[in-house]
Parts: sequence; structure tokens; C-alpha cells
Amino acid sequence: MMRPFGKLLPASLAALVLTSFSIAPDADAAAARGGGGGGARAAGGGGGARAGGGGSGGARQSAQVDNSRADTRTNNVRSTSVNNVNNVNVDRDVNVNVEGHGGCCGGWDNDYHPVAAAAAVGSAIAVTSAVVGSMVRSVPPNCVPVNYGGMVYQQCGSTWYQPQGSQYVVVNPPY
Amino acid sequence: MSIITMVRKILVLSVLAMALAAPSTYAQTAPASAVDPASIQALKDMGAFLQTLKRFRVSTELTGERVLTDGQKLQHTATADMDVERPNKIRALMHSARSERELVYDGKTVTLYAPAQKYYSTVEFTDTIGKLIERLEERYGVELPLADLFLWGTPAASVDKIESGMNAGQDFVGDDLCDHYAFRQAKADWQIWITTGSRPRPRKVVITSRTDEARPQSISLIEWNLKPSFKDTVFKFTPPKGASRIEIVPVKTK
Repeated sequence: MMRPFGKLLPASLAALVLTSFSIAPDADAAAARGGGGGGARAAGGGGGARAGGGGSGGARQSAQVDNSRADTRTNNVRSTSVNNVNNVNVDRDVNVNVEGHGGCCGGWDNDYHPVAAAAAVGSAIAVTSAVVGSMVRSVPPNCVPVNYGGMVYQQCGSTWYQPQGSQYVVVNPPY
Repeated sequence: MSIITMVRKILVLSVLAMALAAPSTYAQTAPASAVDPASIQALKDMGAFLQTLKRFRVSTELTGERVLTDGQKLQHTATADMDVERPNKIRALMHSARSERELVYDGKTVTLYAPAQKYYSTVEFTDTIGKLIERLEERYGVELPLADLFLWGTPAASVDKIESGMNAGQDFVGDDLCDHYAFRQAKADWQIWITTGSRPRPRKVVITSRTDEARPQSISLIEWNLKPSFKDTVFKFTPPKGASRIEIVPVKTK
């Protein structure tokens, strides 16, 4: 009993010391994405820049994700896979239906929003003036932002948008 | 391979399978119960230890899967860092290529913030982190990363639901030697790697869904800091300059 415990302590200490090294490749990647954003993660042990709030996002945002070249087939997520597989103790039968309306997979990572998914699984056929899945650089001035299912949407009359990188994508109404 | 050779191979295999069927009977006699009591005890010990942690930081890197209509699977990743002070304070930062979100709870109000758009929503709530998880999911469809961490060791994580449990040996996760356990319950198979020693904590969790024949799964690697240096102010949300408050709409229940 003593032995593994004794071994554990130096190991966790080493882990602390090594944090900056072990994260280094990630920091490089982040730097490539956002220029300096990586430093924030390297501070993981101490609650550094990423814990600092809004400012941390700024660095990363300068490298915008561009999904414009993604194959449309990637949106055809089937409905049987929309069940949360992120935890075993939260009872997912109790409640909500956020999936299928833009989110896909349940779980806290359901920020993946293939826009055509809702159409593909046959729910909520949108009657919107804009084509679901189309991208715009900015939304009309009359839009109202709203948080639904943890995601921010812009409702503009009967048209709904979701931020995607620096652009917006037209989605089916989430509710 | 021609169809005929394929059929022939299948035939041979079936005969082999039939021949092998008999000896396989003794394999069934091995476990008295599908649920190994020691594996359940390991879960309970881990849960009890987790409940003793008052203040910690935990980081996770999740790989998730989504299944396309034809059964092909695509993976995606997301990360989260959480500063926690039991029983009722938490700050979670969730990040992926699709979005960045923050959740801040100080025991009185809970705020969801989207740094990229600078929008936040705040609702009042006073209860434990465990209850917050339940309520957020139920009313707003919002899930916290690693929700299980706050439920193990409480009645919400009932081991009675486990239909099968076994010790799968030991394995390293990073530099940490872990005991590896595999469980089945309801529509999920799941595996957990618990660090050996006197501070048993989950180091890796894999959950496989059996609701889809493609069996999508999530893999969460978990890193712990049991002596975190964050300040109490991390649990207080102060709207950054230029941020505006927006409405959060409860989800429709089924």
C-alpha cells in the first residue's frame, strides 16, 4: 500500500513540473491556430488565462474555424446516434429534446451542429426565407440573440442562425 | 474473393463454430454473478473519495463520435477545465472548434457565457453542484462536462443499475497506473480507469452507446489537480466589457 502511494506523490509532482512540457505540442498547435493562445492552456495547473474569462477566447478566435470545405455528407447524422454518451449517471430518459434540432450527439460536446441534421432525421421542417445550411457573414439587424440548450442562436423573424466560426449558418428553428 | 469461396469459408467457419460450441459451456460457469462485487466496491471507494474532495481543478479532453446515416462514424474533440469548490461552486470552460462556452456558478446564480459572441444568460439557483447538473439538463438541456464526477458517491449514481461488472486488469493512463473496470447498464457499456493507491480517482472513462449498432462512444481523459491555486473570484461572473445579457429559453420536454 505504501509503495504505490509513495510512487504516486513524486509522479504527481513530476506531472506538475512537466505540465508545461507535456502540453507543449498542444501549445504549438494552439499557437498555430490562434497565436499565443496555447500559453493559456499550459497554465492548466493553476487556472491561467483560460480561466480568466473572455480574454482568453480572444486569442484563439483570431484563428477562425472554416468548415466551408466540409463535405455535406458530414451533416447526415442519423437519429439513433443522438443519444448522449458522455455520462452514465444523468438520466437521459427523463427529459429534453435538444438533439435533432441542430445539436447532434447529446452530451456537453453537443456543440457540434450539423445544420442539415434536423432535416435529415425528418424533424421540424423549416419554413424559412433563408435556405437551411447556407452561410452568411452577418445577420440582419432585427435579430434577437437567445440561448437555447446552451447554444446561442440569432432569431430573425422566422429565420434562425447559429454562429459558426466568424460566420453564421441558417438552421432549423431550435424550438 | 469469389462468392463461392466466401460461402465455402462461411460453411467451414460455421462447422468450426459448432464444434467449438461444446467446450464453451465451461466458460459460462466461471463467474457466479455477472456483477463482480469487488468492481462495484472499487466504484464505491472512488465515489467516496471524490466526495471528500472539497476544492479541485479537473481537466478533460473528450473524443466523441457521431454516426452518419450509412453507419460511417466521425470523431470530434472538445476540452473542458473545471474549477470546483464543493458543495456549490463551479466554473467550467468548454472549448471545441465549434464553440467556446463558460459556466459559472457561485451558489446563488449560474451564468452561461459565450465569449465569442459576448452573450451571457444568468438564472438564479441555490443548491449543490449535483442538483445543478440535474436541473440544467432537465430545464435547459445544458450539460456539464464529466457530470458523473459529481454524482459518483451519491444516490444519483446507483450501482443497482449495473448489470455486469468486471475487473479488466491494470493499465497505464499517462504515467498513472490504473485499475481498469468494465460495466454494462441499460443501453450503455462503460469502462473506467481508476488510479491505484489511496486516492482513487477516475483517470479515463469510455462510454459506448448500444442504442446504435455503430456503437458510438466517447473517450474522456481526465487530469486532476487536488491542490489548485485558483481564487474564490473565479466563481463570480463579472460581465466583460461589451458583453450583453440574453434570454435563456427552457427546453421543451418530450
